[in-house]
Amino acid sequence: MLVIRPVELTDLPQLQRLAHDSLVGVTSLPDNAERLRERILDSCTSFDQDVRTHGPENYFFVLEDLATRHLAGCSEILATAGFDEPFYSLRNRHFTSASRELNIEHGVPALSLCHDLNGHTLLRGFHIDAALVRSPASELLSRARLMFIAAHARRFAEAVITEIVGYSDDQGHSPFWDALGKHFFDLPYAEAERLCGLESRAFLAELMPQYPIYVPMLPQSAQDCIGRIHPDGQDAFDILEREGFETNSYIDLFDGGPTLHARLADIRSIAHSQTGTVILSDTLDARGRYLVSNDALKGYRAIVADLDYRPGQPVALSAEMCTALNVSDGSPVRVIAL
Amino acid sequence: MIVRPAQITDLPALLALARQAGPVLTTLPASEERLAHRLRWTQRAFAGQIERADADYLFVLEDDDQQVLGISALTGAIGLREPWYNYRVGMTVSSSPDLGIQRHIPTLFLNNEMTGQSEICSLFLRPDQRQGSHGRLLSVGRLLFVAEFPHLFGEKLIAELRGRADEQGCSPFWDSLGRHFFKMDFNHAHHLSGLGSKSFIAELMPRQPLYTCLLTEQAQAVIGKAHPNTEPALKILTAEGFTHEGYIDIFDAGPVIEAPLSKIRSVRDSQALVLAIGTPDDQAPIWLIHNRRLENCRITAAPARLAGNDLVVDRLTAKRLQLQPGDSVRAVPLLRSQAQAVAA
Repeated sequence: MLVIRPVELTDLPQLQRLAHDSLVGVTSLPDNAERLRERILDSCTSFDQDVRTHGPENYFFVLEDLATRHLAGCSEILATAGFDEPFYSLRNRHFTSASRELNIEHGVPALSLCHDLNGHTLLRGFHIDAALVRSPASELLSRARLMFIAAHARRFAEAVITEIVGYSDDQGHSPFWDALGKHFFDLPYAEAERLCGLESRAFLAELMPQYPIYVPMLPQSAQDCIGRIHPDGQDAFDILEREGFETNSYIDLFDGGPTLHARLADIRSIAHSQTGTVILSDTLDARGRYLVSNDALKGYRAIVADLDYRPGQPVALSAEMCTALNVSDGSPVRVIAL
Repeated sequence: MIVRPAQITDLPALLALARQAGPVLTTLPASEERLAHRLRWTQRAFAGQIERADADYLFVLEDDDQQVLGISALTGAIGLREPWYNYRVGMTVSSSPDLGIQRHIPTLFLNNEMTGQSEICSLFLRPDQRQGSHGRLLSVGRLLFVAEFPHLFGEKLIAELRGRADEQGCSPFWDSLGRHFFKMDFNHAHHLSGLGSKSFIAELMPRQPLYTCLLTEQAQAVIGKAHPNTEPALKILTAEGFTHEGYIDIFDAGPVIEAPLSKIRSVRDSQALVLAIGTPDDQAPIWLIHNRRLENCRITAAPARLAGNDLVVDRLTAKRLQLQPGDSVRAVPLLRSQAQAVAA
């Protein structure tokens, strides 16, 4: 059985493997032992902390196969984007060119560097073994974060965003980067993303153009990348879109990938998940597949389970499920249909 | 051959010239109505009846048979009635010493910095007359006029030289930039510009600075480059002290060259002399001579000999200038090299 839980320091070797395998552009996962170690410790502190309002905390989760101890994926929630350093994105907006005398009026889209998304909660660092893409485990890895937010809402902002990895080709070339970022950095895309994982992202963003970039002036291949998702990012995108996330006018400043946005109240796993108490059951006449979490903080657990669940009734779980969730008869759990 | 103010009676001749020049001469559209308007206006300017902001001095080059062979113009001030836009080619540095990154990115800044300066424009000489000193008389004659009446002009003279274009008249700079904001081709925009809508068009342009690295390579390559056809004009003005200080046309990126009045050779070196009639010797250098009149302005180029404070010219030259011996003239050697010869 696969379970979601907070990361621990002993996960480091396996996390290094995950970081190494993760897609270029998933910049929050540095392929560097020291940085990963810091990231883990930072997460442990965050789970430990008594938080009144959302701050710099970062909650790092892993997807573990309980039988083999294999880590099959990881994901993170940064409580506040832009808390320690500005969170940069490009805003894609129309500038209107108008001349009454010439009877011309039309909008020209332009990309402007901005910090508009500062203050939102950020989902990031989503990575799962290739074999599990588009499986229930993938849903679990992504949405367990939303169920965690549902259980601990005061630790998070009113709205959640995430950046989906933008398009790059098999050789790791991003047409968007080549047309824009490269002029200002003189670095290949993959190298820029690598530096972002190691150094602070703002550090690089300070080299970015401060004046608007008029979209029609970019080569067509770069224009096509605006809001375009890397094929390997599609799964993460689809899961959150089904959750009620929507794209907006913000894109990633390196690869042009889309930003997804949702208010907590509009997120399906938050608004529609139900809480109930556990009832241990030997025989489950499963009627549907659910995500189940234990609503705990440091001991947070979430699994995928086939249940005979009826809203308002106790939640019947098998012994194996209870063990995975670290709950027993009468414990509160949160349930949402897969 | 003389340069004199254009008159309303020159209309048919100017219309023929404008048609010959074609659309490249945006400031001189081949429209009878517009040309007639401009001629009435220029007449009032030479009569001293117009404020500097509206003054438009249109000159013609005329031979002794009173045939109009070319035109040139001078404005009192640009940008005082409607905004005048240029790009200045500036620089943005993207630098991170820690990462070893240091990028220099030429950047275009939209500005109105030429406001209040005077422009020399609308130069066109009939192709069969592009010989001898005709072009120089037509172009530099204007500068001698400025030397005589500096109070009618700004601190600087500027000239917008036509930018590079392909055989079809398309500008790579326009295609990479302006086109996106107008959705019209360069010739159409250029045409509108000539009809006096230049500032309307400029108002459609983006206000924010533009990184040139985002333009096509072809567009980057023509920034500040003059069209080969303007080379002779550029050469003359460069010799007169005009320089390119990084300002360019917002449509085709052609260079805007400029010179403070005091640095222009024919302004600085011109002197008031007394006209004398005689026989300049065979080796006498060619002088550019102005009769110091505003309304009845006459400028010509002729061999002349400096004798003390006298400028000795032949009888025909005096006649062309409509002057008598003893009248005052403003004169300067036509070429810098001859100026040196005179000084020696």
